[in-house]
Amino acid sequence: MLTVNNLNSGYGKLQVLYDLNINVPEKELTVVVGPNGAGKTTLLCSIMNIANVFSGEVLFDGEPLAGVVTHRLAQKGISYVPQMGNVFAELTVLDNLHMAGYMLSKSEVKDKSEQMTEIFPVLKDFIHRLAGTLSGGERRMLAIAMGLMKNPKLMLLDELSTDLAPIIAEKVMMEVSRMRDDLGITILMVEQMAKRALEIGDTAYLLVSGEVRYSGQADDLLHEPELCSMYLGIKQSSKINGGFELSVSDEGSENS
Amino acid sequence: MITKESSGEKFKGFIASRIVFVLAVIIALLAFLYFSRGISIILSILIQVTIFSIITMSLNLETGYTGIPQFGRVAAVIAGAFAVGAIPGRIMAAFMGLPAGAEYASDTVNFRLVPQINALLASSWLISLGFLVMCLVLAALAGALIGWLISRPAIRLKEAYLGISLLAFGDFLMWVGHNWSIIVGGSTPVNVPDPFRIFGADRFNVIVPVFFVIAILIFIYMNKLTQSPFGRNLRMLRDNDLSANAAGLNIVKVRTQSLVIGAAIAAIGGGLYVIYTGSVAAIGLTRLTFTFWPWAYMMLGGIGSNIGVFMGVFLLTILRTMIIIFRSTWFGFLLQVGIDPLWLEYTLLGAVIIIVILFLPHGLVPEKVAPMLPANRVKKVMAQRQ
Amino acid sequence: MAPWLSSGLIYASGLALTAGSITLLYIVTRTFNFAVASMATIGFYVVYTGVTLFGGLPYQYYPFAIIIGSITGIICYYGLNRRLLNRKAAEITLMMSTLGYDLVLLSLIQMYADYLTYTFKLFPRRVTMSLFDFEIFGERAAAFILPLIAIAFLTILHFFLTKTKFGISMRATIENPTLAGTSGINSDRVYLVSWVISGGMAALGGSFMAMAMTGTPVMGMYTIPLMFAGAILGGLGNIYGGILGGMVIGLTEYAGVYILAKNFGPWILGYRMGIPLFIMAATLLIFPRGLSGIPLGKIIKKRFGQKRGANV
Repeated sequence: MLTVNNLNSGYGKLQVLYDLNINVPEKELTVVVGPNGAGKTTLLCSIMNIANVFSGEVLFDGEPLAGVVTHRLAQKGISYVPQMGNVFAELTVLDNLHMAGYMLSKSEVKDKSEQMTEIFPVLKDFIHRLAGTLSGGERRMLAIAMGLMKNPKLMLLDELSTDLAPIIAEKVMMEVSRMRDDLGITILMVEQMAKRALEIGDTAYLLVSGEVRYSGQADDLLHEPELCSMYLGIKQSSKINGGFELSVSDEGSENS
Repeated sequence: MITKESSGEKFKGFIASRIVFVLAVIIALLAFLYFSRGISIILSILIQVTIFSIITMSLNLETGYTGIPQFGRVAAVIAGAFAVGAIPGRIMAAFMGLPAGAEYASDTVNFRLVPQINALLASSWLISLGFLVMCLVLAALAGALIGWLISRPAIRLKEAYLGISLLAFGDFLMWVGHNWSIIVGGSTPVNVPDPFRIFGADRFNVIVPVFFVIAILIFIYMNKLTQSPFGRNLRMLRDNDLSANAAGLNIVKVRTQSLVIGAAIAAIGGGLYVIYTGSVAAIGLTRLTFTFWPWAYMMLGGIGSNIGVFMGVFLLTILRTMIIIFRSTWFGFLLQVGIDPLWLEYTLLGAVIIIVILFLPHGLVPEKVAPMLPANRVKKVMAQRQ
Repeated sequence: MAPWLSSGLIYASGLALTAGSITLLYIVTRTFNFAVASMATIGFYVVYTGVTLFGGLPYQYYPFAIIIGSITGIICYYGLNRRLLNRKAAEITLMMSTLGYDLVLLSLIQMYADYLTYTFKLFPRRVTMSLFDFEIFGERAAAFILPLIAIAFLTILHFFLTKTKFGISMRATIENPTLAGTSGINSDRVYLVSWVISGGMAALGGSFMAMAMTGTPVMGMYTIPLMFAGAILGGLGNIYGGILGGMVIGLTEYAGVYILAKNFGPWILGYRMGIPLFIMAATLLIFPRGLSGIPLGKIIKKRFGQKRGANV
């Protein structure tokens, strides 16, 4: 569905991505992982024409996205959930959902908003609260709900699990997985929490210093011990039961 | 894949050819005016050019080099004008045993006083020269004082807030001068003793070279200033005050110095202006003439370039004068519906500002810019890269 | 009603609208609109043209003033502001461009005044609009009507911004234009509408102010520092602050001059500009970011509980 060819981009005159090639197959969850500063967010910003594309192309269903203004991208069915600034803090939760459904008809907005409050019950409780008063996890939920309101063909998710309590982060991951399974949405997900993302993902890309170091099935990346330990903070303990032991990583500890 | 290397040589050549072209246009226009209206028009243009070059150079220092949005340029000009209108004459009067107190500025007294002072000035070129120097020194001091006063709050205020506050202050000074008649006579202008009286009918012929010399001296001073370490500090401050601060630059001190020097120079311009016109009418020292026009001159010329300032002033002064001269010949069609073509001056001013912003943002003589990411860009990048 | 109060209310209502106009445009587009000066003056001249050429009361021409003000704003947006916004121009550049536009408008206003003088034998350069007013209970009707119109305008605006889809999208764009874009909200339209509303408000404000001051072609030029003072006092955080700021500046000017003149003599009148400027200076010295530096929202929340997202 989405293809990135030979992308060179950055901010202003500062280059961040070098000759990037990414393919996001339809109805799949494609995961992009890598250390801090690798350019993962820049990749999404480049697709959304927020970052400065020096050369290369981004194709959505074969159509180039170069120079397309943000609101037109949304109209094409691309839903972008940024890491920061992903809700309107000064608007109520309900207004946030309504704004997310800006392109829908009045009845559609009403129906989908109710749907969202079913999927994310926590939103129902806070429906008239200012979004800025929500906690981090609640805001992420709202952000994802807003992303879903748009009936997207493609969702771009930027580090949704960062700074979340593990239980909430897990919930978020489950929702993302569900979106792919039940709703058939194509997802390109950038994640810091590499292990979990790779577990639920289909295709994976490892981004280091603006370049792709690995591309392939997410499962296979999990089985690359050097890459995992060097860049993703995942340490393999014993291969006998195919389990992993986490060393220093932001994922909490887990024994298998 | 960062910056385009601008070849130093090519750039300099490009600028030189631009300057030559503009100078050619200016000379052509001057020649045209000379042959249609005679020398006096040229002289008056030249005098205006010198005065406003000085004022605009001061603006260039504060805005072009230091990055302060100086929308209150008129304040310093007023300081110089008021100083020259209020003090030197009184000093001469006291010296001559004439009334030198509050009554000096009252219209009945002043009207009779100043010709007597002029008689004294006309008798000796030494006294005239001394008087002129005294005027300029007093003007500069008054300007420096105003600059220092402004710098106190200016340090704390953000961009547009600062600009508007400065603008309001300039207006306020004008109203004070217009109402408080002790200073410069309030609504009845006070006359300024004329150090050029000694030259009789040749007055304007002498004023031109004298003012020119003063302007050139200031130009040289400005260039030395901006090429000095102080000048580098200014530019560092303008382009990125965050890292300038980190580099140990005392921002407050540098800004204050810039404001004080700028104001002093603008005040000299103001002093020269009232010496030239012979009187100080506070209500005529408007923000339009002494803030907005200098901004237009500076923008057209090229923010940060003193040669550009000079050319901007020259070109636009000629155009303004042409509107006035050819008011009834070229713009007669407006007169036929009762419209005074002089309003076209405002149209010209507005149009120049708009056109420069849209199409010529670096002016006629762009400053050779060392590429640097401005602070807000750096912050944005950091935020997005998390 | 004391004359200073009735004139003060009229004047302050006008100043409130113009300060609100400046604030709205600033929070949406980061543009300090200098051209409010001429837009206000244009509003006044539309009303003047109406009453002198077609008769009637000033109030019937207010809709025309609003429309012409909005058109002036639209021209500025499409001709100037939009290009600069796309270029991500600095705030100073945006402000300078509106200054250029203001000067062009000023020249057109002056020419129009000339034209009126010549063609219709009028005296548009020193106009006392209050002569065209009527009386209620022995007071100038404007002192009652204008604040009411201002409040009505404000109420409609508030409704628009909090209850309509487009209005909410405006607030969304103000807060986070990129995020708004990802929902399909076209920021170009939001900016356009903000110019339409600002232009209309400025023109209406000018029409109001003319009922209290002498109407001249440079009336806007003369009072623009006060309009900015009102916006700055309001804190440039939300439009209500701007309107309140303008109201305060206007009333304190009239009240202040009255009190000072009574105690110190009529010579004070020449310095009337100084009073609001003093207030602005004092505000900025204590709160360099204006009244929005004071977390009024938090204070209100503490006393009255959760606010329902009405911040604009």
